[in-house]
Amino acid sequence: MNAVKKFPEALLCTAPQNSRLCEALQKLQQNARAQLDTLALPTRKNEDWRYSAAALSHLDTLSNNSTGQGAAEAASDGVSGYRLVLRNGLWQKDAGELPENHLVEVISFEQLNESDAALVSQSTLYQRSDLPFAQLNTAHFSEGLFIRIKKNQRLDQPLVIQYDSEDQGASYPKLFVLAESGAQATLIEEFTGASGETPACTVLTNSVTELRLQPQSQLTLIRLDLAGESVAHTGLTLAQLQRDSRLETHCAGFGGKLRRHDLKVALAEPGAECKLNGVCVTLGQQHYDNHTEIEHIASHCNSEENYRCIAADSSRIVFNGRIHIHRDAQKSNGAMNNRNLLLSNDAEIDTKPELEIYADDVKCAHGTTIGQLNEEELFYLLTRGIPKDQAATMLTLGFVVELVYQIPDENVRTLVEQKLEAFIHAAHV
Amino acid sequence: MLKIRNLHAAIDGTPILKGIDLEVKPGEVHAIMGPNGSGKSTLSQVLAGNEDYEITDGEIILGDKNLLEMPTEQRAREGVFLAFQYPVEIPGVSNLQFLKTALNSIRSYHGQEELDAATFMRLAKEKIKQVNLDPAFLKRGVNEGFSGGEKKRNEIMQMLMLEPRLAILDETDSGLDIDALKVVADGVNALRHPERSVIMVTHYQRLLDYIVPDYVHVLAKGKIIKSGGKELALELEEKGYGWLGIEDSANA
Ligand SMILES: Nc1ncnc2c1ncn2[C@@H]1O[C@H](COP(=O)(O)OP(=O)(O)OP(=O)(O)O)[C@@H](O)[C@H]1O
Ligand SMILES: [Mg+2]
Repeated sequence: MNAVKKFPEALLCTAPQNSRLCEALQKLQQNARAQLDTLALPTRKNEDWRYSAAALSHLDTLSNNSTGQGAAEAASDGVSGYRLVLRNGLWQKDAGELPENHLVEVISFEQLNESDAALVSQSTLYQRSDLPFAQLNTAHFSEGLFIRIKKNQRLDQPLVIQYDSEDQGASYPKLFVLAESGAQATLIEEFTGASGETPACTVLTNSVTELRLQPQSQLTLIRLDLAGESVAHTGLTLAQLQRDSRLETHCAGFGGKLRRHDLKVALAEPGAECKLNGVCVTLGQQHYDNHTEIEHIASHCNSEENYRCIAADSSRIVFNGRIHIHRDAQKSNGAMNNRNLLLSNDAEIDTKPELEIYADDVKCAHGTTIGQLNEEELFYLLTRGIPKDQAATMLTLGFVVELVYQIPDENVRTLVEQKLEAFIHAAHV
Repeated sequence: MLKIRNLHAAIDGTPILKGIDLEVKPGEVHAIMGPNGSGKSTLSQVLAGNEDYEITDGEIILGDKNLLEMPTEQRAREGVFLAFQYPVEIPGVSNLQFLKTALNSIRSYHGQEELDAATFMRLAKEKIKQVNLDPAFLKRGVNEGFSGGEKKRNEIMQMLMLEPRLAILDETDSGLDIDALKVVADGVNALRHPERSVIMVTHYQRLLDYIVPDYVHVLAKGKIIKSGGKELALELEEKGYGWLGIEDSANA
């Protein structure tokens, strides 16, 4: 039997702790660090990592001598709004532009007041032992940002959070977003960097974003995974929804050698509602793993999930969608749909709905399909004179475009459509 | 225009068309009638180039070209248009994008310039009004959520846009109310031209009141067993297919 594989050396902690963090956070970090030395990398036997454990070998090529070079710049891809720039996980205060209207506050974890610090450090995140990469983030993060959207305020433009990474090393961005009661906002998380193709992974972005939605608040999160091939990305989005709040997520994932997104939503109080949309495409040898989890903890909550994935060439996509309806979550409504398209015989998509229902008065529907391009649709387009390759492109795009149209930001829609078109041209349809 | 000789076609090893001979001259309208399952849609699909069907014998000549050697998209560019009996829904591909791509690929095949966006829009709006559909349908997915009648009208709208030399209408009249039937008929009549031909597959003679055919053929068990003028349709309506020595299931 093989020896247990640990996190590669480049991911072990060498930097001293940030002594300006509050005591509770420092303590959590010490715990995480203490465990890191012995923490095993997930293997295939770990159900949660069954299909992605092998791709973790891409972490072996990381090095920890980051150069710290290069200035942060706002990405110029047409996505507009207020902008917060993080480079290697650190807030670049002079790049970006925050609203002057005080609808939003961005605070470094170093400066949290007592009650905010308590919110952050008492998160369920630290009680979970099933999230090794979140633990890695806890061990490493040096600053952390707290974003407050103020009570009963509506942010007039989206807040873009741009995560940029340089060409070497690992970064551990950490965000805590608090939508106060009745607040409304759209956040756009944009992961960029390393556009060139390199044979090996040289960068790891290991991000954690927590969303806390207080009663009646409404948050839309658009998450764009756009970084280049050499960036490995393991990210966690953890949301907790209080009474009558609503979360909408739109994830657009473009593959890299190792991409993993865990999206975990807790509907913690009655009347909470979430809608999770995702589009994910891979080509070449890329790997993208989507793990979503919706916890219906309280009664009268609704969840709706829609993911569409396209794998081309010899790439691989994983979709694992778990819905857990707790015993007291009566009158829950859940609907999950995952449709997948394989563009080649060598591509692979592993989809697994996991429903655990412990309440009896609930509605929960789910459906998954995996298919190739529909021959009947293709024939119809051909009978109108459309060339075969163009017809295939139209159908492939059409498969995901329905979800892209639901993204409530025109600039993002345009960007995602462009990326999808580029994907289809680069993939061998 | 179109010459079909001794056409035999099979699907999954089952012979369906068993020796069809048919000649359609420029400007002519031919109606094809016949009981359910006799092979009418099969013939239409074979003409359009559906590769699910295997051609086991015979030939199809369009103008002076061998149709059977052309892939589907080239047949369309050569002017073959099939209005489907059951048009497929394609969510995610907008009608507009679909029509524009189709029209421009046909135009460029004939050495014509692609239409610019404004000219195309004008044309599309004009044609969609002609078939009495709301222009808002242009932005929807191809046939997505359309009712049966709307799908049929959309087929006619596409035909008007693409102006085919040979239009094959596979039961475009089925399931239409009188108003929609008139819309379809007006569309076809608007396209009639000494250089264009039409093949209409139908079960009902009422369509032929609006689009008067030059010939009527009866297809049964994969063969044309009778041909005649437009009176034949009336006769069939009255007497059914029994008098032709075949089982009458047309009204099923
Ligand atoms: N895959 C298949 N394998 C075997 N037989 C098939 C297959 N597909 C169709 N058929 C048969 O081919 C025959 C001709 O079908 P076709 O659709 O051409 O009839 P049709 O004349 O258009 O009928 P309708 O009036 O109902 O539209 C039918 O008997 C049908 O059952
Ligand atoms: Mg038929």
